[in-house]
Amino acid sequence: MSYVKAMLAVLLLLSGSVVAEIAIIVHPANNASVDQSELNRLFLGRGNSFSDGSRATPLNLAEGVPAREHFDTQVLNRSSAQLKAYWSRLVFTGKGTPPAEHPNAAAMKAAVAADPSAIGYISASDVDDSIRVVATF
Amino acid sequence: MKKTLIATATGLLLMQPLAHANIDISGYASVIGGRVLSGSGVEGFDLPPTFLANYPLVGVYEKDWTFKPDTRFGLQFRANLMDGLSATAQVVARGADDFDARFEWAYLSYDLNENWTLQAGKKRLPLYYYSDFFDVGYAYLWIRPPADNYTWQIFNYTGINAQFNYFVGDWDISGNIYTGREDDQENKLLSQFFGSNPIREIWKDIIGGVINLNKDWLDIRLTYMTYINERYRTVGGVVERVTWGDSLTRRGKFAGISVNMDFGDWLLLSELNRLDLDGGKFDTYMVSAGYRINAFTPYLSYADFDSENEKHSTTSLGLRWDFHSNAAFKIQYDDVKDKGVPGWEVAGDSKSISFGVDLVF
Repeated sequence: MSYVKAMLAVLLLLSGSVVAEIAIIVHPANNASVDQSELNRLFLGRGNSFSDGSRATPLNLAEGVPAREHFDTQVLNRSSAQLKAYWSRLVFTGKGTPPAEHPNAAAMKAAVAADPSAIGYISASDVDDSIRVVATF
Repeated sequence: MKKTLIATATGLLLMQPLAHANIDISGYASVIGGRVLSGSGVEGFDLPPTFLANYPLVGVYEKDWTFKPDTRFGLQFRANLMDGLSATAQVVARGADDFDARFEWAYLSYDLNENWTLQAGKKRLPLYYYSDFFDVGYAYLWIRPPADNYTWQIFNYTGINAQFNYFVGDWDISGNIYTGREDDQENKLLSQFFGSNPIREIWKDIIGGVINLNKDWLDIRLTYMTYINERYRTVGGVVERVTWGDSLTRRGKFAGISVNMDFGDWLLLSELNRLDLDGGKFDTYMVSAGYRINAFTPYLSYADFDSENEKHSTTSLGLRWDFHSNAAFKIQYDDVKDKGVPGWEVAGDSKSISFGVDLVF
C-alpha cells in the first residue's frame, strides 16, 4: 500500500518536472549556439568544444534536482539509471569523467557566470541576466 | 626526545602533499549468490555438477549456495594533477580470490591534446567489448558477461596505451592502440582448473587496437590484438618449458566485432570473436536482447564457444531491476551445454540460478 503511494508520489514528481521548462545557459560573453545533438555530445563526454572550436565545460545539477531529471530525460533522452551505467563504464576504464555537479540553480548560475567555457542548465524560472540562455527544452 | 621530534618532523614532511592534487574516490560492488540446480559434471575429471561462471578467475558454482564466484568490490583513486595529467589506481577484492585485494589498474594518463590521451601502466586487456568494465556489473545488463566468450586466461597487461576521440559528421569515433606484456607467475585458470601443476603464462609482444563507432542508438566496435605466448610448468618443484610441436612459443591473433543497438526500449547486443592460435581457431559469439519496462529490464542471451575440441554454449534468462539510483538487482538463470569431445569438456552441462545487487558510488 505504502509502495503504491510512493509510486504515485514519484509519478506526480515526474509529471511536474515535465511541465516546467529548463534553460541551457552559458557565460554572457559566450556567443556559442548549441542544439540537442551538441548537448548530447558535451554532456556524454564525447566532445569538449563548442561549434566554433572554443573549449566547453559542461556542468550538471545534482541528482534529485527536478531540472536534472528533466535534462536527462528530455535532452539526453536517457533515464538517470542509464546515464549512471554509461558514466560508470567510462569512469572505471579511464575514458572519461562526468560533468562536475552543482547543488542548485544559484550555484549553477554563479559557476556559469564565472567561467566563459561553462555550459549548464537551470529551471527557466531561475533565469536572470548574470547568464545567457542559448536554448530551452 | 630528540628521536621523537625527528620522527614527528619527518611525519609532518611526509604528510605535506608534494603537489596540489584533487583525489577522486569512486567505487563499485557486486554481491552475487547462486548455485547449480542440476548438472552432469565431468566423470573423467572427477568433477561434480559445476557452473564455471568466470573462466580467468575460476569463479565456480556448485550445488551448495555460494556468494564467492561473482562477488567483488572495487575502489578507484584518481589524482588529478591538472594540465591534463592524472594518476589512477583501482584496487579489486574478489570472492573468487578469497577477497585478497589487489591493484588491477595503476596507470598515468596525459592528455596530449583535445583528441589524444596517452596512458602508461597496468590496465585491463581490451580484447572483448566488456573486458574493460567486466568488473562493473552496474554498467551492463546481465549478472556477468557471457562466460563462454570471456574465456581467456590473461586479462590484464602492463604497457602503453594511446586513446583517441574524434567527431566526424554525426559519428563519434573513438578507440585506442596499445602494446605491452603480461607475465602471470601462477595462472589461476591453467594451474587450478585446466590442470594441477603451477603454470606460468606469459603473453608478450602484445600489440592491439580498438575502434568504436557511435551514432545515436548504434554502437559498433572492432578489435584486434596479436601476442606471443610463452609457458612454463612446474612439476615436482622442477620448472620445465612448455613447447608446442617444435616451437618454444606460439602466436595468437585475436579479432572481433561487436554491434549494439539501444533503440527506444529495446536493447540488442552482439559480439563475434575469433582467436587464431598458431592456426587453431577458437570462435566465440554472443547475442542478447533486453526490453525496458520502466525500472525493469528482462533479458535473454545466448553465448557460444566453438573450437576443434572444446565446444560449449550458455542460454541465459534474467531480469535487471534498477530499484535505487545507485544500485540494480539482478536475477539470472543459466543453462550450459558442454559439447566438448571426450577429454576436452570444461565443466559438463549445468543449470544454475544466481541473483544479487550491483552498485556504484
